[in-house]
Amino acid sequence: MTRLILAALAALSFLASPVASQDAPDAPLQTILQTHHDLVESASRRTVQTVLDDLIASGLPEVPAFLERWQARELYMRQSDGRFVYVQDEDADPLVLIDIDSGAEIGTAGSREVDQLRANRGVQTVIGAALVQFQLLSPDIATRATALEAIDRAPEPDQMPLIATMLEAETDPDLRADAESLLLRMTIAFGEDEAERVAAIESLAGRIDVQTRAALNPLLATRTGVASQLPEDANIAAVLEPGSDALPRLEAYDILVEEGLAPAFVSADDRRETLIANIEDGQIVGIQVHSLDNEEARIAAYAALVEAGLAPVSPTDEEVDAALAAHVFYEEYREASAAVTSAAEETVSAINTRVSILEMVDLSLDGISLASIYFLAAIGLAITFGVMGVINMAHGEFIMMGAYTGYVVQTIVPDYTVSIVIALPLAFAITFGAGVAMERTVIRWLYSRPLETLLATFGISIALQQITRQIFGAQARPFTAPDWLAGSLSFNDVVAISYIRIAIFVLGVLFFCLLWLILNKTRLGLEVRAVTQNPSMASSMGINPDKINMLTFGLGSGIAGIAGVAIGLFAQVTPELGANYIVQSFMTVVVGGVGNIFGTLAGATMIGFFQKGVEWLNPSNTLAAQTYMILFVILFIQFRPKGIVALKGRAAEM
Amino acid sequence: MGNLIKTNRSVPIVLALLAGFALLVTVLSEAYGSGGLSVSLTKTLGMTVCLCIIALSMDMVWGYSGILSLGHFAFFALGGYMIGMWLMYARTEDVIAASLAQGQLPATPAELNDAIAVQIFGVVGGDSFPWMWAFSHSLVAQLALVVLVPGILAFVFGWLAFRSRVTGVYLSILTQAMTLALSLYLFQNDTGLRGNNGLSGLQNIPGAEAIPQSQISIWFLWASIAALALAYVFAAWVMSGKFGNVIRGIRDDEARVRFLGYSVEGYKLFVFVVSAIMAGVAGALYYPQAGIINPDELAPIASIYLAVWVAIGGRGRLYGAVIGAAVVSLLSTWFTGGRAPDINLGFYTIQWVDWWTVLLGLGFVLVTLFAPKGLGGLVDLMTRKGEAK
Amino acid sequence: MSTLLEVSGVSVTFDGFRAINNLSFQIGAAELRAVIGPNGAGKTTFMDIVTGKTRPDEGRVLWGEKSVSLLGLNEAQIAREGVGRKFQRPTVFEDQTVADNLMVALKKDRGPLAVLLFRPTPEDHTRVEELASEIGLSDHLQTQAGILSHGQKQWLEIGMLLAQEPRLLLVDEPAAGMTGPERDHTTELLKEAAKTRAVVVVEHDMDFVRKLNCKVTVLHEGSVLAEGSLDHVTSNQEVIDVYLGR
Repeated sequence: MTRLILAALAALSFLASPVASQDAPDAPLQTILQTHHDLVESASRRTVQTVLDDLIASGLPEVPAFLERWQARELYMRQSDGRFVYVQDEDADPLVLIDIDSGAEIGTAGSREVDQLRANRGVQTVIGAALVQFQLLSPDIATRATALEAIDRAPEPDQMPLIATMLEAETDPDLRADAESLLLRMTIAFGEDEAERVAAIESLAGRIDVQTRAALNPLLATRTGVASQLPEDANIAAVLEPGSDALPRLEAYDILVEEGLAPAFVSADDRRETLIANIEDGQIVGIQVHSLDNEEARIAAYAALVEAGLAPVSPTDEEVDAALAAHVFYEEYREASAAVTSAAEETVSAINTRVSILEMVDLSLDGISLASIYFLAAIGLAITFGVMGVINMAHGEFIMMGAYTGYVVQTIVPDYTVSIVIALPLAFAITFGAGVAMERTVIRWLYSRPLETLLATFGISIALQQITRQIFGAQARPFTAPDWLAGSLSFNDVVAISYIRIAIFVLGVLFFCLLWLILNKTRLGLEVRAVTQNPSMASSMGINPDKINMLTFGLGSGIAGIAGVAIGLFAQVTPELGANYIVQSFMTVVVGGVGNIFGTLAGATMIGFFQKGVEWLNPSNTLAAQTYMILFVILFIQFRPKGIVALKGRAAEM
Repeated sequence: MGNLIKTNRSVPIVLALLAGFALLVTVLSEAYGSGGLSVSLTKTLGMTVCLCIIALSMDMVWGYSGILSLGHFAFFALGGYMIGMWLMYARTEDVIAASLAQGQLPATPAELNDAIAVQIFGVVGGDSFPWMWAFSHSLVAQLALVVLVPGILAFVFGWLAFRSRVTGVYLSILTQAMTLALSLYLFQNDTGLRGNNGLSGLQNIPGAEAIPQSQISIWFLWASIAALALAYVFAAWVMSGKFGNVIRGIRDDEARVRFLGYSVEGYKLFVFVVSAIMAGVAGALYYPQAGIINPDELAPIASIYLAVWVAIGGRGRLYGAVIGAAVVSLLSTWFTGGRAPDINLGFYTIQWVDWWTVLLGLGFVLVTLFAPKGLGGLVDLMTRKGEAK
Repeated sequence: MSTLLEVSGVSVTFDGFRAINNLSFQIGAAELRAVIGPNGAGKTTFMDIVTGKTRPDEGRVLWGEKSVSLLGLNEAQIAREGVGRKFQRPTVFEDQTVADNLMVALKKDRGPLAVLLFRPTPEDHTRVEELASEIGLSDHLQTQAGILSHGQKQWLEIGMLLAQEPRLLLVDEPAAGMTGPERDHTTELLKEAAKTRAVVVVEHDMDFVRKLNCKVTVLHEGSVLAEGSLDHVTSNQEVIDVYLGR
């Protein structure tokens, strides 16, 4: 805006002649304003349009700049001769006056000698609307975009030619697309010609953006109507059967009552109110009040009131039915044109089909990302539980420690990206150390007693949780993702996935590949498998089972730590963080099949997708989705007790 | 009975101790004795006795049958919910009937019902009774459900799990999943048991408004002690004799028992269901003393704590479970109730309210590592000195 | 001689490995039979199939005079039909006394309720004492099974099998880890048992098999390689190849 004014001023000063007289023919703007002098001086929302029409009709190049200054309350009137002027600096004294046509200085005046024309809100709005056409053709692309958005917020039918004009000259492809889309939607809403509107509607097929859907939906808005016969001129959407799901019997009757077509039905509540209103000395027309403790007695008492003329007659069921039968109920489109509504129906249903397909795609993305989270949470367990057979209930606390490592690093290193780069290996180191310490002090004594490992590690789990609570407090700690992980990758208005979930997916894939390589392609992996399958044989072959157990457990714990950093980025970093994942993690490993990481992958995928699927059926209720997911797992284990990827034969019994 | 006392010498001792305990609390009670025992302490003791019953039932499945159930509090809480439904319905009915009686017209049954429903379910946005409250007006029906609901759940779950031969840690994880699923289910507002609000005001016994809590609390304590005594005798009877031998055989060598011709699944199911029913009854006694029940009670961690009590007390011996539950839960109450003196180390003050959990966790590691037989093992050591074994 | 157990055309595969390959086997109602074969010949899997632990991919397992198929039954049902199995490692209930072990094994109603209400009669006690004396454990009736010697545990397990009164006894390496005199006692026990029922002994030890003095079946790679007296099969060239390696 300012740039525009500056440009206009520059142009004006270039053209400026030293002196301009009031009635000079080269002051056409002033001339037009003076013909509507009073309307300009005391402009009102209702009357200012005349002035604006004349100004626009003149086609003068100064008009846009003038309108902007008027709207911005920068127009003044010299009291001595009623001439409209600008001032150079409104705080100066005396004010330097500027001619509105030429931009030349035309003398000075004291602040009491001129009036500032303060256009009120209404006038400003009307001027703004008039300005839009100039803005739409402005050389500045931002101005054009702003103007277009302004129209989109409150479209008016008479703006359609303006947009059409703009489109003739528009070169920017994005803006052009926006303008075309807006014009199309305006055609649908305001178009005079039915065929044109239908064509516009049909051209929207397959567009899934929210704006399109918002443009089409009002066309299908209906209202319920009732008449003795189906009206022929109305655009009927559907005929309703009273007593159906769409129109319950009593609701239909209420419509009749509302329209004055039937006497009101007396409900149980109405009856009660009427009875109470007629209590006299503990009696209602001679009936003892205390006997009215059931519905039959109340109906009888009400009938007595009716007989005494003290209450309106309630229609009987037969009368209600007769009234309903005598009328026809229908849904009528607010839009009068049947061609338009049927085109809209078709287009909307096509769009809805497409949207639901895309929703499936979006759901699959959600499923993948949930599966990645479960996989990350469970992958450490796949090693300690799946490969070594150790039930580590403190696994969740290793995840939690990883998340807190991220938080602590972030308090020291303020750069979010750097802090995560530091936190990942540090979390691994810390939880690796914790895992090794735990294996050395507790778990190695309990290898032959798995159920007791479960309980001992549970003891460690609650102790670690409480110690964390002592150090960091019970409330959530901030651990923020760097900016490049904020936001989401959106393919269109329906399908989108946040970058952080993509990152977790990538991390999950990395972990999977890394672990597969470690377990299957390295000496360590070979020794791990040897030790877990037959420790005594392995040790006779020169493998130190103690060392291998220690390293394997450390590896599983360290991975939990890294997973913790990732999970901490989107979950609340609290002492209970890990506990929230532990049961699900065990289920992931068990469902997948113990003893190999493909199983964990399969388990995480199945659980993730199942849970998202249930959420899709009942979107409001994630608790229910989790409940059904767990029930599903329990049932699944009945049919495949060894998990999805099961080892068979003798190997499975070891 | 004589036979039972011969085979399990702990029975007469435990019964005598319980009788002595009942006498002692009566003498100290506010209602019938010196008043040295406050109402809240009476309730704590009563609740502890109920926890001893569920510990006993846990010992039957874990200590004797080798099934480490990490979901036993699901049965306990279901028992509590079942009795809680009647307590809440009947109590609300009294209150609502009294308030409707102030109205100008006497209430119809439908109006009364609607008003009770709004009173109970308004908090979760409901205004009518869910199907599961169909029998809530009847104490007898709800008492039957106290037994039936945990029993049927245990039967269905156990039948599925044992049939497909899920054992060991897998079974533990499944039971844990079961209680988690149930707790998540109950957390939902629309499942009919008031979501996370749970059932409250259960300490108000309908029809007993005039009786002070000091009296009601001691009655419940007596009832709990009697239930514990019954449960103890029952568990000792089940676990003595041939049935106990088969059950312990299953724990030690399932395949051997199977090849002897016993249907291992049937036996496990029997013990699991019986134990779930005991847990349900214990819960039905516990929650009227606690006053409130909500889905948090079914959180998996509660059931793990139960296993911890039994392990600390010493599993595979009934008195061990009772000792473990009593000692650990009373110590927990003492430490977390702020009654334990803080320890000032100069640079840091150890506040037991906070550090008790740490102590418990580490203590549990130590017991597992160094005293796998738990506190009950100490009793064995003491008694064995006198025996020629 | 009537056939008690008839296994025919049975095959079973674990992850592509054929553990049992078209195996056929028969035994009469009162017969002692030794099954020998190198490691991996399928001896244990054969017993697993008969006792219901493993389901074969194909083939038939028929039982008794009425030729009931055992394939549809679970382990406990097969045991109740009268098949007793002794494992390679002695498996007794170490936590319980010898008397309790035998009492649990006695042939009685196996249903949970019946067992719960079961109280031993004097006859039951007598039977337990008889069995104990048969297996040489009369002095140890009140001893915890866990503190018995290895050989005594083996006998106790055989005693438990006898208490079950099975019609077919499957015994896996009963003599493993036994001293000389213990072996002789075991041999006697098995021979005595085989007078009234079928007994199948899986054994590695040729001396022990020789002492049993019975018909021998040689398994190799999941099928029957040879059958007959010990002298007959040991002179078979194929058997020699298998045992000595080619």
